[in-house]
Amino acid sequence: MRSPRIRELRHAVTLLAAATLTLTACGSGGDGGDGGGTGGGKVTLTYRLWDDQQKVGYDKVMAAFEKANPNIDVKIELLPYDEYWTKLTADAVAGTAPDVFWMTPSQFPEYVTKGVLADMSPLKLDTTKFHPTVVGSFTYQDKLYGVPKDWGIVGLLYNKDLFKKAGVEMPASLTWKPDGSGTFLETARKLTVDEAGKHPEDPGFDPAKVKTYGFASWNHYQTQWMNWVNSNGGKLLDKPFGKYTFNDDASVQALRFGVDLVNKYHVSPPATQTNPPTGKVTDMFKAGEVAMFPANNALLPYVAPEANFEVGVALMPEGPAGRAVNLNGLSEAVYAKSQHPQEAMKLAAYLGTEEPQKLMAADGYIFPALNGLTQGYVDYWQKTKKLDVSPFVEESKGTTFPLPVTTGFTGFETKLNQIFNEMYLGKLDPKQAADQAVTEGNATVK
Amino acid sequence: MRWRRDWHAYLFIGPSLLGVLAFLLLPMVIVFVLSFFHWELLSPPTFAGLDNYRRLAGDGESWHSLWITVVYVLLCIPLQTVLALVLALLLNQRIKGVRVFRSLFVVPWMATPIVMGLVWNWIFDPRDGAINSALAVIGVTGPDWLSDATWALPAVALVNVWQYTGYNMLFFLAGLQGIPQELYDAAATDGATPRQRFWRVTLPLLNPTMFFVMVTNLIGAFQVFDTVFVMTNGGPSKSTEVINFKIFGTAFREFDFGYASTLSMLLFAVILGVTLVQVRFFGKRTTYDMS
Repeated sequence: MRSPRIRELRHAVTLLAAATLTLTACGSGGDGGDGGGTGGGKVTLTYRLWDDQQKVGYDKVMAAFEKANPNIDVKIELLPYDEYWTKLTADAVAGTAPDVFWMTPSQFPEYVTKGVLADMSPLKLDTTKFHPTVVGSFTYQDKLYGVPKDWGIVGLLYNKDLFKKAGVEMPASLTWKPDGSGTFLETARKLTVDEAGKHPEDPGFDPAKVKTYGFASWNHYQTQWMNWVNSNGGKLLDKPFGKYTFNDDASVQALRFGVDLVNKYHVSPPATQTNPPTGKVTDMFKAGEVAMFPANNALLPYVAPEANFEVGVALMPEGPAGRAVNLNGLSEAVYAKSQHPQEAMKLAAYLGTEEPQKLMAADGYIFPALNGLTQGYVDYWQKTKKLDVSPFVEESKGTTFPLPVTTGFTGFETKLNQIFNEMYLGKLDPKQAADQAVTEGNATVK
Repeated sequence: MRWRRDWHAYLFIGPSLLGVLAFLLLPMVIVFVLSFFHWELLSPPTFAGLDNYRRLAGDGESWHSLWITVVYVLLCIPLQTVLALVLALLLNQRIKGVRVFRSLFVVPWMATPIVMGLVWNWIFDPRDGAINSALAVIGVTGPDWLSDATWALPAVALVNVWQYTGYNMLFFLAGLQGIPQELYDAAATDGATPRQRFWRVTLPLLNPTMFFVMVTNLIGAFQVFDTVFVMTNGGPSKSTEVINFKIFGTAFREFDFGYASTLSMLLFAVILGVTLVQVRFFGKRTTYDMS
């Protein structure tokens, strides 16, 4: 039905847009990952990442790969995180994405449903050798679209000095229930002190003048409420690439508990100080104003060296449905339209093997996705910072859950945060907030 | 003929002309064309006719964003312009250290918006922030600023006023220094009070400067983005979701480039309209040539 003129116009627009995006890409410094020259039978692959600390490790990894594959050169491109995604999208449109690059679970649906990522089936990977949550995060219609690279997991960082000062022992296991019973809230209360030295349950306690908070409960889905929801038997999504369901009774109970920690039990700083994007929970923990702080192990390099107190790592609290912790995986994705598909697949396959993953762990960068290699990371932190990070490992062997993998999340994220900001401020009831968020979220699922 | 004579000139403007074409005019044309397409970036665009414009007509959220933007402009522009003019008048005197003051007032304009936003986040912190601590001294409990739907937009506007006042002051200062002293002497001889001198001599003669400052500032204010991005992310409850932030979200978070282009056309139309009104308003007034 479409007239030829419009078809022509459409092609013109696509070309123009691609041209502009490529121009813009050139303007920002890179050469757009053109797949490299083929002179002398040598193939140049572009490998893109966003972490400048990990790049140091990957320089070594790539040197080893190039030595074993003399006909392949790997060029590492480092981009800041925000720019990384803008440029990746632009490059994918222009058909010049890097051959191999990092992928996160929350961006994965967008790229995989639009055919940017290569199917890994030809590699015949034994997926049982990798952490199942990471494999699940990068599986679409029963096929794996990325070699599992590493994972990060949420654990409970705590300030050992504050515990000592309050004369409180960290219980072997922290437990919570929606009604406020359990060792977790009890411990948080003991550690919360106002300027007059009173605890939240004492008469005359002034919640407006708290000196130290026992816990940091705030609007952060990955380290906070999604963990409450799962450990209370709530469900974030009905199935991968499905619909949001976190307005069921168990989820709402869990959300209410998270908010109550702030507004009812007063063991957490007010949302006016913690809500994103201006929140500064990490700074409060580093300043010794918060005793317990759930965080992904990836945050350790930014917290441990700067804290002037002894940092401890504990297991996340157990809810009525047990302990369920977010485990966020990364994968090495191969561009579906790579100029050198064979070499790119070869590199991705290599990155999933023991040698490189072991190296990245031993240098303290990450927990490898390949099973059985966590000890290197644990040793690194024990040796360099005298920090026992083994609770992260123990958690990873129990129940873990991925971020809700579905399309449209990047667009939904801002709205979700806005709605839940209101909830943490106490201006929106958790049930209403969850209903609103689920409705908004499901409207973005494609 | 002219080409023969002027080709050097074209040679010299060539590079920048190329830049303007490639990075300004071409994208503008593309955005206009794209506003008639559905395009989710990674799949090819499909012609949409007026779909996006029909959607815009019934999209309350986008009109709300436009309204927020208008309120923001009204909060910023009058305050910023008057303050800049007052500062310029003060710094046009022969007082000690005037050069230092002039430089100091321009410093905020040079600050990176992101860094500035972060610093202001601290200042607006409801508990430990400088503003509420100062208010507490005089016994006033300050609002939760960036978490309060009433105060978030004025707070963001205040940061922009702070940033651009000194910069605008520079233009007014230049304008003031272009007014010949004889005119003031003549006015004084005729018995004009300082107030009369300001309204009858200074202000009319500042007309060209005022025109420039108003047009550029209004365009800039309608396009506000970075401070919102750093300080509020459009919240709380969309109270700071200005139109440019909405465009950004639609394009780069929802990957709906067709509709984002339509929203850009809306903003373009509004800015064009406002600018034309100003051109007419200032065009009607007499401009005195003092060269």
